[in-house]
Amino acid sequence: MDNKNVQKNGLTKLLRNSYRVFIGTLVLAVIAELIGSKTIRFGPLIIAIVPMMYSLVMGTVLGKDLLGFFTEEESETASQFASIAISLFMAKLGISAGGSFTELVEVGPALILQEFGNIGTIFISVPVAVALGLGRKQIVGATHSINRETNLALITSVYGGNSKEMEGTLSVYLVGTLIGTAIFGLIASITASTNLFHPMALGMASGVGSGTRMAAAVATLSEIYPEWTEQISMLGGASDVLTGIDGVIFGLFIGLPLTNKYTDFWIRRIKRKEIEGVEKNEN
Amino acid sequence: MKINEWILVILLSGLIILAVNLVGFQTSIIDSIPGVLILSAIALGGKLISMILPFKLPMITYVSLLAILVASPISPISQLVLTHVGKIGFTAPSAVSVAYIGISLGTRWKPFIRQGPKYILVAILVFAGTFVGSALVAQIVLKLTGVI
Repeated sequence: MDNKNVQKNGLTKLLRNSYRVFIGTLVLAVIAELIGSKTIRFGPLIIAIVPMMYSLVMGTVLGKDLLGFFTEEESETASQFASIAISLFMAKLGISAGGSFTELVEVGPALILQEFGNIGTIFISVPVAVALGLGRKQIVGATHSINRETNLALITSVYGGNSKEMEGTLSVYLVGTLIGTAIFGLIASITASTNLFHPMALGMASGVGSGTRMAAAVATLSEIYPEWTEQISMLGGASDVLTGIDGVIFGLFIGLPLTNKYTDFWIRRIKRKEIEGVEKNEN
Repeated sequence: MKINEWILVILLSGLIILAVNLVGFQTSIIDSIPGVLILSAIALGGKLISMILPFKLPMITYVSLLAILVASPISPISQLVLTHVGKIGFTAPSAVSVAYIGISLGTRWKPFIRQGPKYILVAILVFAGTFVGSALVAQIVLKLTGVI
């Protein structure tokens, strides 16, 4: 009896504290859908703006730091709700993937091997991060992978929750949640406009970002290749699922060791150049 | 968060999906209800599995696997699941999460700006590098295996 009362109070309290978040989300999501998708062309570059970008911007503007409509607690609550509601989205994705099981088996090898494309991250971003003067450990955390939720879990278990590696991982993760959706839409647009890649390959690449980032890339690509919409979303979803599962294994056995070595290599290289530069100046 | 609170959040988020599916995908609320209920059930199933199993995998991994299983040809209810969930627009469930994220960002704005544009640049390179790297590997393997 007591137990029941406590539970009931818990739910009532949750509703009382968060009804503005629910109603706000409902209103933002509906307004975003009413505005609808738009495509903007800059010469060869097609930028697709999808409804979720509007709700992202409107929600941020309404927050404590800008317009102050939502309180800090409500933003905290919304963040928790996002991580719960994302499971509805993952369920929808999984169902599209399960429904296309036969096609998935056909493209299977590409989906699994595609995980090695993650190495692309390390080669491009490590030298720049070193040149920017970020700490060695922070660089390892920031660049070892695309830093999804799974990678936060990995870094927590390998280096600890308050390690310097975690600082880097968390920062990239934050950029990802803050503006990743918009960035992924842009990256997908730009990559597609090179015409170097098949829509199916781009669909698979969309899955490297988790949840909404993947959704933004898929939505953008679907605007560009309307006849491939089904395949793109199916492959994006499947690749997202696979990355969620094998991302930890890849990060642990390939991403982290490689980033550690490669960061040291660039730090030595850049330091040597600095020393040479100083010597030249002295001469 | 307690499991009953978790379920409440899922159900209320489901209500928002109904609204989004009505406005954005012109599907009546009555037609969307079974699909949203199936999605909620799978989400809950995944959550329960993640609570029972001892591995440290994120909950969404189990949700995805369960969803794939339920909709795959080996599932006896796959047709039912595909029909009803098919009525839910692809971006309807993600639109709800993104709206939540929008609201959640209201307070991260300041510390994030202080943290500096360095990480933004690194992050953009990380995202672009991974996307292009993956597209490249996918393109090569798809070509080699004769799919495209």
